[in-house]
Amino acid sequence: MSTSGRSAPARPWIESYGASIPAELPESAYRSLAHLVNETCRKHAGKTAFTCVVPNGMNGSLSFARVDEMSSAFAAFLRHHCGVRRGARVAVQLPNGLAYPVVAFGVFKAGAVLVNTNPLYTPSEMIHQFTDSGAEVLVICDMFADKLAEVIPKTGVRTVVLAGVPEFFPRIPEMIVRGVQKVWTRTLPPVPALEVPVLRLREALEKGRAVSADPSGWWAKTGPDDLALLQYTGGTTGVAKGAMLSHGNILANLQQVLAMGRSHMTGNDCVLTALPLYHIFAFTCNLMSFFEIGARNILVPSPRPVQNIQRAIENYPITWITGVNTLFNGLMNEEWFSAFPPTHLVAAIAGGTALHRSVAARWAVMTGTPIAEGYGLTESSPLVSFNPLSDAARPGSIGIPVPGTDAALVDDDDAPVPEGQPGELIVKGPQIMQGYWNRPDETEKTVRNGWLYTGDVAVMEDGGFLRIVDRKKDLVLVSGFNVYPNEVEDCLAKIPEVLEAAVIGIPDAASGEAVRAYVVRNPDVPGELTKEAIVAHCRKHLTGYKVPKSIVIRDELPKSPIGKILRKDLKAEVKAEFAGKV
Amino acid sequence: MLTELETTLLGVMMMIIMLGMGASMTPRDFLIAFRKPRGILIGLLSQFAVMPFLGYALAVGLGLPPPLVVGLILIACMPGGTTSNIFAYFSKGVLALSIMMTVVSTVVAVVMVPLLLAFYGGMAGVTGDYAIPPANVAQVLVVLLVPTILGMILRKVSPNVGATIELIGSFTGVVVILFLIASWVPRNYPLLLATGLDIYFATIGIGLMGMLFGYWVARGLGQDTNRARTISLETGIQNGPLAVLVITLSFTGAQQQEVLLIPILYALFIVLTSTAITLWYRRNATREELARDAAKVRPA
Repeated sequence: MSTSGRSAPARPWIESYGASIPAELPESAYRSLAHLVNETCRKHAGKTAFTCVVPNGMNGSLSFARVDEMSSAFAAFLRHHCGVRRGARVAVQLPNGLAYPVVAFGVFKAGAVLVNTNPLYTPSEMIHQFTDSGAEVLVICDMFADKLAEVIPKTGVRTVVLAGVPEFFPRIPEMIVRGVQKVWTRTLPPVPALEVPVLRLREALEKGRAVSADPSGWWAKTGPDDLALLQYTGGTTGVAKGAMLSHGNILANLQQVLAMGRSHMTGNDCVLTALPLYHIFAFTCNLMSFFEIGARNILVPSPRPVQNIQRAIENYPITWITGVNTLFNGLMNEEWFSAFPPTHLVAAIAGGTALHRSVAARWAVMTGTPIAEGYGLTESSPLVSFNPLSDAARPGSIGIPVPGTDAALVDDDDAPVPEGQPGELIVKGPQIMQGYWNRPDETEKTVRNGWLYTGDVAVMEDGGFLRIVDRKKDLVLVSGFNVYPNEVEDCLAKIPEVLEAAVIGIPDAASGEAVRAYVVRNPDVPGELTKEAIVAHCRKHLTGYKVPKSIVIRDELPKSPIGKILRKDLKAEVKAEFAGKV
Repeated sequence: MLTELETTLLGVMMMIIMLGMGASMTPRDFLIAFRKPRGILIGLLSQFAVMPFLGYALAVGLGLPPPLVVGLILIACMPGGTTSNIFAYFSKGVLALSIMMTVVSTVVAVVMVPLLLAFYGGMAGVTGDYAIPPANVAQVLVVLLVPTILGMILRKVSPNVGATIELIGSFTGVVVILFLIASWVPRNYPLLLATGLDIYFATIGIGLMGMLFGYWVARGLGQDTNRARTISLETGIQNGPLAVLVITLSFTGAQQQEVLLIPILYALFIVLTSTAITLWYRRNATREELARDAAKVRPA
């Protein structure tokens, strides 16, 4: 069957929306993200928009009015001193901090395109991303300035701006944090000599202020179809590709986030932003959605170790937390959290990776509030589906497609699967990206006739609730039987002595592939953790072929910057381990 | 002897140090620490059971005269010094445990130090002129608890102010030692030259033996090597400036001069010995870390 004729299927999940979720997605009130920032900062001018908290509790804040003024100054700097024109790319490589919103919003106000970049990238990854995107300006955290000497000459970057973690803190705390970085932790390398101009963010803002231009002229023509972000993704296979997210994509997804949660959100909310803003989840959910309703973002520059979040949770009335499974699990294993869970909490939002049921259940008991699990991809800005914040929520489910979204499950021949059967989840809606930057072939493989092929295998239950069975590529094929790693991991996570687990396939002479489990011991639970006990537990709950044949007990698992367990790294290890053996 | 001005200055600096110590944590940290008090209790044991006994044994064993016995026992009975936290950090120890032990031992000191002083002072036969009135010690400690609590509250209310004060407190800790050395040594260098080897042995030995016993008490009670190293440093590093303050408030004139000898020598030497021990501990900690990493990459 061909997809070209796929008519929009019915949306059976609308019956599950309840009273608080609109069936149709309301129009966005804004034409672009710059328009949104402009209006929002005016509306909430005097309120605190962002507070950044470092591990010792030192902090700095920016009001909506200051964010407005500073981002306009940065836009002026980009336009007048860097020669940035409409649609030009500006790479931003910053951890969470007060500099991030100033710079990101400045880029939008200049009518330019934001290229979010992971601060921990290696020089070769940076070179790839900056040349692929054609970035003209780079804003980078001063902790990583030592990489510039190798990177900049090989890219088209013409201006480098440095920002620190304690940027825009009050003077003395800023001095102390910088002093600690320099002398104590030695994380402030000297800035290498470069051919291109290098300035600090403060200087850039001064230059921008001296221009005293009205920035609205630069973004007035920016509309929903213009490119807002190049969001790089796809580390699992080949090189990273830039997902082209337009202003309309992000604005629509913001509307979708609010459609699902607005009934529980208020302008006095305080959201903990421990996930990095350069990742699409925190970008759309925390930076844009909570910002738009006038809430306050509590930014944590680095949530690892989890201890780093302690002062942020202790000192501010946190009402929402966005996180991933490992973050929630990590928090609950901290004594300061379990003994004194945040008292103002309304709910937590989980995404990025499957939320284990045991984690969600423990969280509900410990904090007395739910974790609502959502699902999304970089390519969909990211939110696709979300659990309603009511009794209708289903544990272990990624919820129902958000308003304005179509979803279908298809088999390998692109035909819809019978009801209740697993199939690849494909989605369509205003949040789906325009394509991959300069990669029409890749785009064609992923987006066909407006449908985004997620590569995730899901089943649809009654009421339109979706359950991810697994990642298409992560399936372990044991003697022709599909084993979904998530299912085995979920089973392993129920063993009290297990802190976390990852499951992948290994080559096996008899069954083609066999299940291998990597398990991390929970140091807080006394008692032995033996391979025999793990196997015995799995035998009790899983069919024979799903029981791990090989078990590796580890001190830790490889994780992505947002804390996703990286099965691909484990697969790479296995590849090396079995090289030449099978 | 220290002038009135110097004594006042010392008092003010101690207040700042204690304010800084309090500001290194919040009231909640304090509550959390007591949910799993094992490490802290072991620390208290080595701080208030092992150390004073070592001080007493050294004083009697070396047959020191009464003013030096008082000085040595006083040093041995003191709570942990705030500089121990810096050493704990550089030795890759458990910083939170170090901070907590310093704070808790300072609080417990209000009761324990007067008792221990009276007990070991009596055992060593210190009487009359050289006995430190227990009320004096308790008073000084209670007065110092006020800035400690104030510091904790400040940290909670304004983390920016709290962390700044913490930093100032740490610097003051170093300044006080320099101040004591600078104001005392030049006036007393003939005394230093006349001081016997046994006294140097006592002042240097009390710190080193404290660290040695602290480590093995902790190990014996099931603490891992890293925590044991932290407890070790905490046990050996005493609050020397506090001992000096107590002495200046209890004695005058030549008597004060005599009693001050050991605490001041202690404050001077503990910086050197702790630095050496810290470097050694740091090497051990690094070696253990590498061994753990190596165990991780070995395939199953």
